[in-house]
Amino acid sequence: MFFRLVADSFGRRPRHKLLTGAALALGMGVATAALSVALDVGDRLAKEFRSLGANLLVTPKADSLPLEIGGVDYRPVNAGAYLPEADLPKLKTIFWHNNIVGFAPILEVPVQAWSPASQTVLTPKVSNETTLIGTWARHNVAIPDGGTFVTGAERTNPWWQVDGQWFGEGALECIVGQNFARKNHLHAGDTVNVSQRGTTAAATALKVTGILSTGGVEDDAIVGPLSIAQTLAGKKGEYRKLYVSALTKPEDAFARKDPKTMTPVEFDRWYCTPYISAIALQISEELPGTDVRVIRRVAEGEGQILTHVQMLLWLVTLAAMLAAALAVGASSAASVIERQVEIGLMKALGAGSGTVGFLLAAEQLLLAFVGGGVGYALGIILARVLGEKIFGAAPEPTLLVFFVVIGLAALVTLLGSAIPLRRASRIEPAPILRGE
Amino acid sequence: MTELRKLNRAMFWRILRRLLGANRGRLFVMLLALGAGAAVTAALLNLQVDAKRRLTTEFRMFGPNVLIMPRQGDASAISEATLDESVLKEVTPFRNEAGIVRANAYLYLIADVTSITSREHQRVVVAGTHALGADNLEEAARIDLQTPDKQACIVGGKVAVQMHLQVGDRLTMINAGVQESCRIALIRLSGGAEDSEILPHLDVAQRLADLMGRISLVQISVPGTSQQIDRYIGDLQKRIPHAEVRPIRQFTEGEAKIYSRISGLLTATVGIVLLLTALCVMAAMTNVAIERKMDVGLMKAIGGATRRVVRLFLAEAALLGLAGGLIGAALGILLSIGLGKAVFGVAARPRLIVYPVAVGLTVLVAILSAFPLRRLASIRPASVFRGEA
Repeated sequence: MFFRLVADSFGRRPRHKLLTGAALALGMGVATAALSVALDVGDRLAKEFRSLGANLLVTPKADSLPLEIGGVDYRPVNAGAYLPEADLPKLKTIFWHNNIVGFAPILEVPVQAWSPASQTVLTPKVSNETTLIGTWARHNVAIPDGGTFVTGAERTNPWWQVDGQWFGEGALECIVGQNFARKNHLHAGDTVNVSQRGTTAAATALKVTGILSTGGVEDDAIVGPLSIAQTLAGKKGEYRKLYVSALTKPEDAFARKDPKTMTPVEFDRWYCTPYISAIALQISEELPGTDVRVIRRVAEGEGQILTHVQMLLWLVTLAAMLAAALAVGASSAASVIERQVEIGLMKALGAGSGTVGFLLAAEQLLLAFVGGGVGYALGIILARVLGEKIFGAAPEPTLLVFFVVIGLAALVTLLGSAIPLRRASRIEPAPILRGE
Repeated sequence: MTELRKLNRAMFWRILRRLLGANRGRLFVMLLALGAGAAVTAALLNLQVDAKRRLTTEFRMFGPNVLIMPRQGDASAISEATLDESVLKEVTPFRNEAGIVRANAYLYLIADVTSITSREHQRVVVAGTHALGADNLEEAARIDLQTPDKQACIVGGKVAVQMHLQVGDRLTMINAGVQESCRIALIRLSGGAEDSEILPHLDVAQRLADLMGRISLVQISVPGTSQQIDRYIGDLQKRIPHAEVRPIRQFTEGEAKIYSRISGLLTATVGIVLLLTALCVMAAMTNVAIERKMDVGLMKAIGGATRRVVRLFLAEAALLGLAGGLIGAALGILLSIGLGKAVFGVAARPRLIVYPVAVGLTVLVAILSAFPLRRLASIRPASVFRGEA
């Protein structure tokens, strides 16, 4: 009898039920879409923030102080310490190796550079003091546990613009900074001769494959393959600076605690969270003799902005869910209010308030599950579209969102009908049936 | 004729009053749905306008994004070229349309530095600066820039480790026979070039280098969107043609990219939430409206023309929308002020434009949701009363 009554109510007023269901589905669709995006946005934005470049700097611990002004190192040649390039693949073996999106070793060599293009019969060759920055452009790193990882300056310094092509790894090629190129009338395809400053070694001829523009000190320098820089400086297989770009979790109060004062449990939790300080520690464990510094300027700004944007989105989500809940609640309240006559009749026929309430609640719940389910599907599609449009990647649908949405739908419809139901339970059947 | 029309109008309003007052429960439900929609609309619109502006200020967490450097015409090394200190005045007024512009001048030289306490000696880059390189006010307060303590200096973390320095130690710096000294006010590890520098007051560095009134470069932190920053750079370059003004592309470009993503995200989320909120409210309202067959049937039975009946219901919906909108939007703006405080620590400034827009949207939604009533025009009064339809 109970089910017949419920089925009858749906069959008798299909349009009415459809509208309530539509309100529910739409509301829950908003909630689903907003929730999915908010859950996903942290990871996506963290990736976007990598366009600011590296957030970790690795230098030799035993290095002397660099005397660097405007990108020119005034240390005597051969002063300072170096690090072995062969250790670099170990970076991809740390606990958070998947969070390391790129790294590039740097070896700077002070050089004397001149281009045959600037030399004519009448004018002598123009010789310039500049720096050859040896690095990786797009380097295949063989990871110890199999596979290769492609990384280099292209990844760590995404704001570097190359007009032309990057140099080939290990080839006698280079890209020159735009200021240097302008001064020496260099174009892609020309050659430039470089030799280490202060030595009489024969010059190496490098083919210019592109003009680099960075807005920084590199505009006055030559950037070439690491191996060429190593040969010029006589430092086979060594580098001096390593930039690492890693995906991190914004630092919170816990992350700022000194790891030395943590209890073992706390330390484990800290170590197994991708905080930038934890990743820095893991890198220094893998690369002995290094000093891993967090580039505060990049890391701190990123952390704060990420936290704020995430909070903002959660609030928007909350507002969306609130609005959806209110609209759905209002709709289910309306559907109960309009059925006073029916309730009166049922009571007149001997139904108790409990039975009537139970019947109406069952109807509402059924509607909530159907509407919530449709809303979830709708919301997932919407979240996909949003994700694709903004980040070029859709968020993964999660079961968690499904349960939250269905639960919310049930809660809201029940709450929405609770108040009118309470009033309905006090209804005296006689006046209602008389139409008063 | 006018008499009749007057009478008609009076009757119209009277019926409207009765329609609204007839069912308190229904009135409450409709106001709730409309008010909730209006509140969310107003809160989101206000927050969205405010958040985008606030974001550009937040980006200044990254520090300076524009440099003023000497033009490199003849000087071969960057360190040898200097600018006159007067360029700093051109950076003023220290504001652009997006907020406060902060500027910091530096003079670089290499000096022999000796620690009086630890007796260590080394050649270190000395970067004299006005604000002692303090990136934020918090730090500036710590080294207390208000007192004219020109003896204080900041020491980079790497220098401190190599020379075994501690806060409070005294350093002497010698360059070309000139000697200056300073007291370490702060040791800072930032991951940048400053880690291997000593930052005394600009005057100290100028005396040390014997370059009075000269500076090596100015770092400027310009807030705003990338267009605003570009415009600022263009203006500044025009005012100081002898120097080179250039953006620090790592930050200007990265920020522009992130800003467009975040603002796209916000706009899209807010837009979709608003659209669906409107649909939700409409569905809820339509539901209520359909229940009014009886009213329509009765009106038609006693001779109400369809047009007048529909007009009556539309007027009712508009009135409800107005009431719900006025209350809801006000609540929403209050809400967004609170939310702004929660997110950015600063209350979102209420935008006056948001209020009428939110109210207008609510009225529109209310009227649109009353439109299915037009279908009721085809109702046959008799069948309604027989309880058939």
